[in-house]
Amino acid sequence: MKRGPKSPMLRFLLRRGLSLAATLFLVITLAFLLIRLAPGGPFASEKQLPPEILASIQRRYHLDESVPRQYLRFLGDLAHGDLGPSYRYQDFSVDELIRDALPPSMTIGALALLLALVGGVSLGTLAALRQNSWLDYTAMALAVVGISVPLFVLGPLFKLGFALRHPWLPTSGWIDDRRGWLTLILPVATLTLPYLAGIARLTRASVLEVLRSDYVRAARAKGLSEPVVVLRHVLRGALLPVLSYLGPACAGILTGTVVVETIFAVPGLGRLSVQAAINRDYTLIMGDMIVFAVLLVLMNFLVDLGYGFLDPRIGHGADAP
Amino acid sequence: MTAGRGARWVLLALLAARALCAQDFVFNNGPEPQSLDPARTSGVPETRISDALFEGLVVNDARTGAPVPGLAERWTISPDLKTYTFTLRATTWSDGTPLTAQDVVDAWLRVLEPRTGAPYAYLLGDSIQGASAFSHGRGPAADVAIRALDPRTFRVTFVGPLPYALAMLTHNAFMVTPSFAVRRYGPGWTRPGHFVGNGPYVLKAWKPQNKVVVVKNPRYWDARDIHLASITFLAIEDQNVAYDKYLAHEIDYATEDAIPTARIDEIRLRPDYHHVPGSTVYYFLFNVTRKPFDDVRVRKALAMAIDRQELVDGVLKAGEVATAGFVPTMGGFHTTRGNAFDLDQARRLLAQAGYPGGRGFPPCTVVYNTSARHRTICEWLQQTWRRGLGIDVQLQNLEWNTFLDTKQKTHAFQLARASWLADYPDPSNYLDLFRTGAGNNDGRYSNPAFDRLMARAETLAPGPVRDRTLEQAETLLVDQDQALIPLFFYVNKFLLDDRRWGGIYANTIDIHHPRWWFAR
Amino acid sequence: MTPMEALPVPAAPDPLPPPVSPAAVAWRRLRGHRMALASLVLLALYALLCLGAPLLPLHPYAEQVLAHENLPPSFQPAGITLLATREAELRQLLAAEQRPASPRERTQLAGLARAVASDPVHRRIYLLGTDALGRDLLSRLLYGGRISILIGLLGTVTAMLLGVALGSIAGYAGGLLDTVIMRGVDILFGLPYLLVVIILMALFGRSVFNLFFAVALLSWLTLCRVVRGQVIGLRHAEFVTAARAMGASPARIVFRHLTPNTLGVIVVFATLMVPEFIMAESFLSFLGLGVSAPLASWGSLVADGAAVMELYPWQLLGPAVAMTGFLFAMNFLGDGLRDALDPQSRRGGVHGR
Repeated sequence: MKRGPKSPMLRFLLRRGLSLAATLFLVITLAFLLIRLAPGGPFASEKQLPPEILASIQRRYHLDESVPRQYLRFLGDLAHGDLGPSYRYQDFSVDELIRDALPPSMTIGALALLLALVGGVSLGTLAALRQNSWLDYTAMALAVVGISVPLFVLGPLFKLGFALRHPWLPTSGWIDDRRGWLTLILPVATLTLPYLAGIARLTRASVLEVLRSDYVRAARAKGLSEPVVVLRHVLRGALLPVLSYLGPACAGILTGTVVVETIFAVPGLGRLSVQAAINRDYTLIMGDMIVFAVLLVLMNFLVDLGYGFLDPRIGHGADAP
Repeated sequence: MTAGRGARWVLLALLAARALCAQDFVFNNGPEPQSLDPARTSGVPETRISDALFEGLVVNDARTGAPVPGLAERWTISPDLKTYTFTLRATTWSDGTPLTAQDVVDAWLRVLEPRTGAPYAYLLGDSIQGASAFSHGRGPAADVAIRALDPRTFRVTFVGPLPYALAMLTHNAFMVTPSFAVRRYGPGWTRPGHFVGNGPYVLKAWKPQNKVVVVKNPRYWDARDIHLASITFLAIEDQNVAYDKYLAHEIDYATEDAIPTARIDEIRLRPDYHHVPGSTVYYFLFNVTRKPFDDVRVRKALAMAIDRQELVDGVLKAGEVATAGFVPTMGGFHTTRGNAFDLDQARRLLAQAGYPGGRGFPPCTVVYNTSARHRTICEWLQQTWRRGLGIDVQLQNLEWNTFLDTKQKTHAFQLARASWLADYPDPSNYLDLFRTGAGNNDGRYSNPAFDRLMARAETLAPGPVRDRTLEQAETLLVDQDQALIPLFFYVNKFLLDDRRWGGIYANTIDIHHPRWWFAR
Repeated sequence: MTPMEALPVPAAPDPLPPPVSPAAVAWRRLRGHRMALASLVLLALYALLCLGAPLLPLHPYAEQVLAHENLPPSFQPAGITLLATREAELRQLLAAEQRPASPRERTQLAGLARAVASDPVHRRIYLLGTDALGRDLLSRLLYGGRISILIGLLGTVTAMLLGVALGSIAGYAGGLLDTVIMRGVDILFGLPYLLVVIILMALFGRSVFNLFFAVALLSWLTLCRVVRGQVIGLRHAEFVTAARAMGASPARIVFRHLTPNTLGVIVVFATLMVPEFIMAESFLSFLGLGVSAPLASWGSLVADGAAVMELYPWQLLGPAVAMTGFLFAMNFLGDGLRDALDPQSRRGGVHGR
């Protein structure tokens, strides 16, 4: 499919943008209703608040209004970019909390994704090229171990080996602690491993399939050198499934940050959103959710663009993915 | 040496000397605090920080936890024991503003004001004359019996001769907060740029989910006696993660929030382990309006089938104290004996109730909030009742908010796990839970005779008569009606290297005021 | 071209080889893949042990013997291990507190020795040790395996059915149907998973079925996306055009032609999913939303074991090895299945991309 002048691209972007906004809107609405279904509320506590105090607090946060009214108020605030005050952490607003929590999660998540991608693709390709060699078997065995051990076992194991038995690295915390950047190493390593393993396996399977295809044989017949064949032709086709996997991998990394942040006491968004759910901090939940949704949707958009790049048969025309 | 070089050496020496005598103290405070405003918080992590940043008229002594002078230098008590007149020290807030008795009045009124939504407004409302009407929005602030007689004299009149008045005044609801700062900055007054306090430390930094850092307050009235340069409160919810930090020497002190119960076997053996029995009681609450627990014989049968000593020795093992009574012994009050372990009697009672050998016993569920420790205790209970009485109870763990909702709002439970930590050390604080219609009476217990005893105790002066009345009430509640199954009293425990730090002592109320901490 | 096809046609043509179904071909190929076969055997063993657990002579998985708490694995009767452990503990305590044994401690130990000699419960053998309440870890492992495997399999089957069906339809049909389906997927993706699970548990109660449902909820989404991607890639392949030219209905095209060609990737994904399910269940157990006590699953056992990793390593090791082994086997089986089912390798690339 030919890529014409700019306007199909622009049309595509516009349509995509609108559809993303629509999805976001639906997600927000659904979530808004759902969280009010959960039992309990933001102000439940072991020693119950006297009813008048509870009523006063609820008035302050407009929780005494009907749900549709609350929803409209929320949308209105959102239009002004105001995510509201946190119901639980009364001295902070939701965007302050998110602004503080986003950098740690982004750093760990992005690093993990990058390392998993680079490492996984390299390992998987090598294993496929040297199929059935000892390298192949070891790599795949390690990969399987990587995806079979849960994060909340891997994390403490790493902590035990590298921070407790030998005080090489800090056990937990964040880069503003005494030992600075070293604190990053364990959480990133823990989060990277399962996805590196998954990507490696996927790459290997996919490369093996592609190696048998016509156009690769054609490329080889043309007399092109092996590295060129691999990089230009094999990887292009083989990376499609990996690209598809990136979407769920991102989602997985986002949930994975919850475990990793808990184990390594990282002040990130994953931990914040779990606490928000447990505390029924409605505004914080909505805020977190919007951030996650935007991130995911962006990621999927990039993945779709990547499809177009990797497989030229898929255009941006009428039946674009 | 030139003058410049010499000065540099002196500076280095001074810095070194300072580093040697003042210290930075780091520990895990548990979950992220909800707020740093003592008027609006009710949890232990928040209280620990409030203790560092603010002070009330009296504070807790380091060793005994008893009330000792804080902002108030001395006080006199009227003959009818209802009116207390405090003489305040001549001191200032951390921004230099003089601290006066009017600040105390303003702070207490702010807690009482309905608009503030203070969870402990009732502590003031129920104890101070005229306060209840004001806190319900039905009376003017002027009617509340608190007065600033002059800038250094503060007077309060209570509703009765409350024996626990001074102890109650150490509670964070009574702390003196800067109402002028609240008015000026609104909800942002607790943030580092605007913060004003009167405690031994001031707020330096607050990073949510991460840490709260406080540094020594040079304007504190007793600044000479504050020996730590800074305290860092970490916000780690997971006990295992926090304990690992302690092992790696990344934190200096491990509270309950850093002592995982699963590893108690190894922790008990450490030389830096301190423990003392506390006054928090762990119990299971019956919903007495639901079958089969509307029958007192069934309740007693379940209670008497439990060998609490086995639980404490075999399962908990941290030195908890088994109890069949609800209120711990304090002052002249003695815990009731309760219905002790007696399996034969338990079986007889169950048979009398119509379930001989457990046959025909209706389905029964025990709810508890998710935690490894509660689960272990519940599993042990399940087995105990199966072996001893032949009945099968189901266990259901609920996530925290769902648990609270079930226990407090819908009362959709038969047996629920519960615990109670007293707001002030008096038996009435425990027993008030079970008065008819009381806010926290989740089990719907109602006994007019009990209510009458509690009402009478309210009017009595401290002394043997009041103690006996309260003991009677407890006997009625536990021995006779078995509205709950008390199991044990918590152990207050912590880890601290005594060779490096001091000022933290094991006491029964588990309050360790940062004012007394120091480095050796 | 095979050598046979290259030869000139003989006068009397040889009979054609009997038609072989793709399934038989696949099975034959699978048999050749050694690792996959070994995995199959291992999985069969798991299935036998876990499903047949009620028939095995195991100690009851919920029965607590407090005296036997936290015993290490051993072939010896529990009583002997118990005495040795308690003596070692006492010695450690005395060394830490720098004092001799009190008379009470001495009588306790003597009483224990007597009880061990007389009470038959101390003749039990705990092959994998015990947990904090003195329950046999081997039986908890096997019974827990039932639940974990059940969740893994059921979840994967659901995911495959829903995900493949919806993904193929979306990918092939395109247009409005595609948009609607993908929009639904995006919405479900965007919702805060944890909260949805909490709400489900609260509304419908805690049971294994609800747990499986909560886990299955998000599972099919990723497979749906992947399959859709694959189908889009294949939509324009020659064999699809050919099938359409021959008048095949869209349904036939999708399920008869497209799906088998994506099977390779689907199978690999599926085998990546069973582990993911078991992992998701263990994540929920870690957060306290998994199975209710006194039931156990591999996830809850691993979560509990990880907490006491240093003190009582066997409490982690046993369940972790069991879980890892199962996932290991699933993955290698997946590899073998992929190789066996891949229609492209059957005749060297006739259905090329």
